[in-house]
Amino acid sequence: MTGAMDTNGSADSAAALYELRNVERRYQRGGTTVLAVHDLNLEIDVGEFLSIQGPSGSGKTTLLQLLGALDAPTAGSITFDGSELARLGDHDLTDIRARHVGFVFQQFNLIPTLTAEENVAIAMVPLKVKSDARHGRARELLEQVGLGARTEHLPSRLSGGEQQRVAIARALANHPRVLLADEPTGNLDTQNAAEIMALLAGLQADTGVTVVVATHDPEVARQSHRRVVMRDGAILEDSAVAP
Amino acid sequence: MVSLGYLWNELRRRSGRTIVTALGLALGVGLVVGIIGVSEGLSASQSKALSPLSTVGTDIVVTRTVAPTSGSSSNCSAGSSNLLSEGAQFFGGSAGKALGSLNTCEDAALLSSNSTVLTDLSKLGPPGTQFTHDFFLPGTLIPFPQQALKVVDGVNGVKAAAPALSDQAEHETGTVPTITATVQTPAQTIQTLQNVPPLTPAEGSQIISCLFSNPNFSSALANRGSAGGIPGGGATSFTSLLQKCLPASYQQFVSSVVVPAVTINQVVNPPSTDINTNSYTVAGIDPSQPNLGLITKAQVVKGQWFGSHPADQLLVSTAYASSKSIKVGQQMPINGTNFTVVGLVSPTVSGDASDLYFDLPSLQSLASSSGQVNEVLVEVDNSSQVGTVVKRIQKLLPGAQVLANDSLDNTVTGSLANAHTIATDFGGVMALIILLAAFIIAALLTLSSISKRVREIGTLRAIGWSRGRVVRQIVAETTGIGVLGAGLGLAVGAIVCVAIGAFGPSLSAVSSSNTLGASTASALFHETTRNSAKLAIPLTAPIHPSTLLLGVVFAVVGGLLAGLAGGWRAARLSPASALADLG
Repeated sequence: MTGAMDTNGSADSAAALYELRNVERRYQRGGTTVLAVHDLNLEIDVGEFLSIQGPSGSGKTTLLQLLGALDAPTAGSITFDGSELARLGDHDLTDIRARHVGFVFQQFNLIPTLTAEENVAIAMVPLKVKSDARHGRARELLEQVGLGARTEHLPSRLSGGEQQRVAIARALANHPRVLLADEPTGNLDTQNAAEIMALLAGLQADTGVTVVVATHDPEVARQSHRRVVMRDGAILEDSAVAP
Repeated sequence: MVSLGYLWNELRRRSGRTIVTALGLALGVGLVVGIIGVSEGLSASQSKALSPLSTVGTDIVVTRTVAPTSGSSSNCSAGSSNLLSEGAQFFGGSAGKALGSLNTCEDAALLSSNSTVLTDLSKLGPPGTQFTHDFFLPGTLIPFPQQALKVVDGVNGVKAAAPALSDQAEHETGTVPTITATVQTPAQTIQTLQNVPPLTPAEGSQIISCLFSNPNFSSALANRGSAGGIPGGGATSFTSLLQKCLPASYQQFVSSVVVPAVTINQVVNPPSTDINTNSYTVAGIDPSQPNLGLITKAQVVKGQWFGSHPADQLLVSTAYASSKSIKVGQQMPINGTNFTVVGLVSPTVSGDASDLYFDLPSLQSLASSSGQVNEVLVEVDNSSQVGTVVKRIQKLLPGAQVLANDSLDNTVTGSLANAHTIATDFGGVMALIILLAAFIIAALLTLSSISKRVREIGTLRAIGWSRGRVVRQIVAETTGIGVLGAGLGLAVGAIVCVAIGAFGPSLSAVSSSNTLGASTASALFHETTRNSAKLAIPLTAPIHPSTLLLGVVFAVVGGLLAGLAGGWRAARLSPASALADLG
């Protein structure tokens, strides 16, 4: 997979990073079938700053999980950098998550027993980065997100905004091609939310990483460059955001 | 493979979970180590109780014991005092007759051998004087001539045979009592009525001729009317003349008065005295056989074995020496002989454990059992032939009880045997149940802990940790907890074992060997004539490296299995499902 992507990477550099064709995801829950998303057709280009906006239950988190290879569609196809995810095994999907995808969660999802630095460094373990290099990179990233003085703090000693910054640093640890952020400001106050969105925008601008943010907040969506609006599992609107 | 930093931080920063889970395992491991230790300690104690009798080579013990009375036999011609002829008859019956009952012959042997108990205390000195005397009774171990040793020694397959005289001793001190009995019978008046036969004519003629032939008869007859006036008593003279002329049958009556025989029963009150009695057990052995007998040289724990002049030397058991504060080199006067304690010994409870061990002739002399023994201890050439040799001896000595060594184990009773039985029967099961319970507790705690970390596991999967890496990390954590539990468990087990050794109870081992028929003897003497040998062995719980290793392996494997189960259960969830977990 990695080799294929490397081989095709330069040839398809102008092509879309993601291509979704008629994607559908159904769940069995309590004996009933829940159609989380359906008829999704979407292309996401490299370096885009995209927001997926919609109310709770509109399917945006499911879409984000499908993009992050955390889940598989029940119908349709998702192509990531030229490779169809449905054809890949667990090993390759894990490798994609480790190397090319960075996740940021609403609940931060930091490991409570690890310090900020260790939380960032742990993301580099699957890539067999040596311990010193891991921690050096972690400190560098924490410095980048403005937490250079709090590297040794446990998550419980950090504010929500700080925890989300640590999560963003962790997501960036392996130089991913895409940053998937699920309600990254959902648990933050207005000021912290603005700071986090500014940080994501800055990262996208500085590193060229593709950023996809799922949010229910139109204000947050407005800070992206492209907005996809979802309702009841389907894309209602896909438009560029005016600067 | 595994993030050690993550592992260390998980163990360190979730210390509550780590310690509780480790303690659960530690408790199981500690108890298992303790139970195994106690079980091994009991085995060691039982070996100690049976050793060294079973290890120095005594394979068979020959005794003459009594069996319950079921009838009587008339043939006592070959009693214990008779010597050997064909090797069978001094065991109380004719050759070929099994000793199945306590017959009159054996009654007599028992009474005879224990006759000392009937000793008249007045023989110890004049009433009122102080006495100290030791009485020796064989109890139910009926003595037999020492020549039986030769018979046993001559049996094919017997390597060596050693004689022994094992007695119960009574040490008595006090004042010689005055023992008198005053028997008073009532006064008797005896009356007899005799009918005097009439004079025969011949006797009348004889009387008349006698009177008239006397020259004084005429004057006496003339004066009979004034008898009172005649000096000299004329009437008296006539009476005296008549008396002289009466026939002999009228002068003396012969009569026999038969008084019926009377049995006088008079209760004699027991003598009032201040006798103190202390019981102890003694044995006479052959010092020239230091490796075979009721006590062996190997059992000397202090001092030494009998010297070249064993007649006035004795060995004392450590238990008796301890209770009586007897030391090596001490003099012990017994019935006028000063014996020197040359050594302290640790006897076995199997067979006969005695308090004092004498040179055999010395005890025979003390117990008035010259030439008598009541046990023969046998060592066979080949241990596999014990059964055969037993049968050969039984054939030659049909009145004897021939006990093989392996059955000696069964004669050990008491708390040691009970505890060992419990440990053997239930120890393994108990250890298994405890260990299983500890594992289940540890596994539940681990699973509970992991179930609270599903979202964390989902996060790891989301940031690129493979399923295998997640499982390995969790297994490493739980194995780490297992190692910690093993360490704590070993400490707990070691403390338990040391505590048992320091403060644990003593187990009593009681040997009932050679006391068969004791109830019969008790009936004869109205008392217990022989005590069972009893030995208190402190309970220990030794710790062996193998036990410790077992504990470590159990704890580590337990942690590993719990981690595998919990980790796989969590990691098999899809990352999306794991992240959706609300825990």
